[in-house]
Amino acid sequence: MRRASGIFDTSYIQDMTIFRTKYYSAGMVLLILFFLILPFFVRDFWLAFISSTAVTVIALQGLNILSGYCGQISIGHTAFMAVGAYSSTILAAQFGVPLVLCLPFGGLGAAFIGLLFGLPSLRVKGYYLALTTIAAQYLIIYVIKTPFPEVTGGAIALNVPALKIGNFEFQTERHFYYFVLVMLALMTFFAKSLMRGHVGRAFVAIRDNDIASEAMGINLYQYKLLAFFIGCFYAGIAGALWAAYSRVISPDDFTLMGSIWYIGMLIIGGVGGTLGPFSGALFIGALREICVIVGPYISSMIPQIGAQISASLVEMTFGITIILFLVFEPRGISHRWEIMKESYRLWPFSY
Amino acid sequence: MITFVQLLISGISVGFIYGLIAVGFVLIYKSSQIFNFAQGEMVMFGAFLVWAFLNLSIPPVLAILLVLGIVALAGYGLERFPLRPMIGQPILATIMITMGIGVFLRGLALLLWSHNIGIKYQPIITEKTLYIFTVPVSNVTIGIFFFGLILVILLSLFFNRSRSGLHMRAAAESHQLAQSMGIRVTRAIAQSWAIAGVVATLGGFLLGYVRGIDFGLTDIGLVAVAAALVGGLESLKGAILGGVIMGVAQMFTGGYIGYGLKEVIPFLIMVFVLIFKPYGLFGLVKIERV
Repeated sequence: MRRASGIFDTSYIQDMTIFRTKYYSAGMVLLILFFLILPFFVRDFWLAFISSTAVTVIALQGLNILSGYCGQISIGHTAFMAVGAYSSTILAAQFGVPLVLCLPFGGLGAAFIGLLFGLPSLRVKGYYLALTTIAAQYLIIYVIKTPFPEVTGGAIALNVPALKIGNFEFQTERHFYYFVLVMLALMTFFAKSLMRGHVGRAFVAIRDNDIASEAMGINLYQYKLLAFFIGCFYAGIAGALWAAYSRVISPDDFTLMGSIWYIGMLIIGGVGGTLGPFSGALFIGALREICVIVGPYISSMIPQIGAQISASLVEMTFGITIILFLVFEPRGISHRWEIMKESYRLWPFSY
Repeated sequence: MITFVQLLISGISVGFIYGLIAVGFVLIYKSSQIFNFAQGEMVMFGAFLVWAFLNLSIPPVLAILLVLGIVALAGYGLERFPLRPMIGQPILATIMITMGIGVFLRGLALLLWSHNIGIKYQPIITEKTLYIFTVPVSNVTIGIFFFGLILVILLSLFFNRSRSGLHMRAAAESHQLAQSMGIRVTRAIAQSWAIAGVVATLGGFLLGYVRGIDFGLTDIGLVAVAAALVGGLESLKGAILGGVIMGVAQMFTGGYIGYGLKEVIPFLIMVFVLIFKPYGLFGLVKIERV
């Protein structure tokens, strides 16, 4: 990583520092202040948008660790979110445990199921593994839908108990906004710290060349399974948060299409960095909202096309965006952002 | 016993369709090392497209041939734009490019046909019940069985006898070697996409004829992908066999256990095959050593 002009790292501690300059720290403080006072100025629509994007970012960070850092591609991410959502909800509804305490259990449940489906990663990799995770998607949703309808609610929706801390109940958009953002900050910090340490370095080594990394003494199986564990833990937390936020869940919320969307967001944002999930989720979230707004206008202009104009518009633009990004900017928005920062710093001597 | 034989026959006949779709998938993989995750959407889109063309007032055979021509051209085009820059890219990128194509096709299908719910093709042959050794079987099932068989034979003739089929097999072995023999690898890849589109459309047409045309055909296309994996990715006969295994397994679980499991049993089989025999029944075993 390049520093701004005149800043030199003379020790490893300085090299690893996240907020290296005063401007970074000041910017962070300003950002936190901005998000703290934002709810007093904007409508609930924007708060809902930020909350749902934040949940998406948490899920994406799991996917980023699993697929971006460790290279184990997962196309079943929403299924692991479903495991988190359902296990926390069932724990809260059937056993009367407060939902806040169920959140980590949702994460752990998803993590253990993820370990189970990570087992084939010990023998196969690449495309084959991707197909195993597609199988995970179908099998998990099947288990939710069919064998135990009295516990999981079957194919119909399941109500989620209210989220409370002590006697305080989270009711309005604003309450959830703060809660989700605090969770997002915690999870981001955790992911960033983990990926800077030996675990993250081992993951990157496995992604770049697994045989070489094994030869260098990295226990391949242990770290691949660890990647599945952490990635699916994040998915589980995100799923449980989503359940607590939307108050009602059904298997239709967690489709293969959703999983494809998550990978697409990760690619558009940029794989293997902290900034990627944020920019990808924001970009696609904004794109989706724009399509939903524009859709009705188009259908009023050309009435003979179908009623699902918004849905089809969303999917078509998403497909095209993915293709264009992969062909023209495969490293995503965050890479573009880095380039912009570099050229700003070096301006006017951009050599 | 009669139910058993009935399920077996209909399983094999559906399995041939799966195998056919799987052949398209295997072709693309062999020629360009790209997994085509849009295969399911291609099946669904092809089925809808055939339906739309059959509704025009032109002879049905002409309509189907027209659709196949369009799909083959689209396959050529797909190779040119998003796929040619993808050769040699990381796996995540190649997976997502095909998925992007799939999502786009899905959106397009939603735009064009989302208001057509519960549509079916006009029956081409009147449905009768035939008796094979006292087992009643629908003549549609038998017809699909033979149609699938003929297509499989035609495909294998194409690969073993025709010039471009041989070119494609050479390109699948090694791009560099094929190129040094004067074979245009990009054209071979484009041809494999065209053929994959054609077999996916035919498969979608046959499946749509049996169970109606809807967006659920996408999932069935993915079953064919699972079948290709079970059979082994390098082998065309493995793809057909994998398809038959999936079809029979689906029919038996559907007949004896329940509908829900019928949808997921192919993936269950696939996971077990991947754990115990990772490169499928007829696939090349890749050995990596330091």
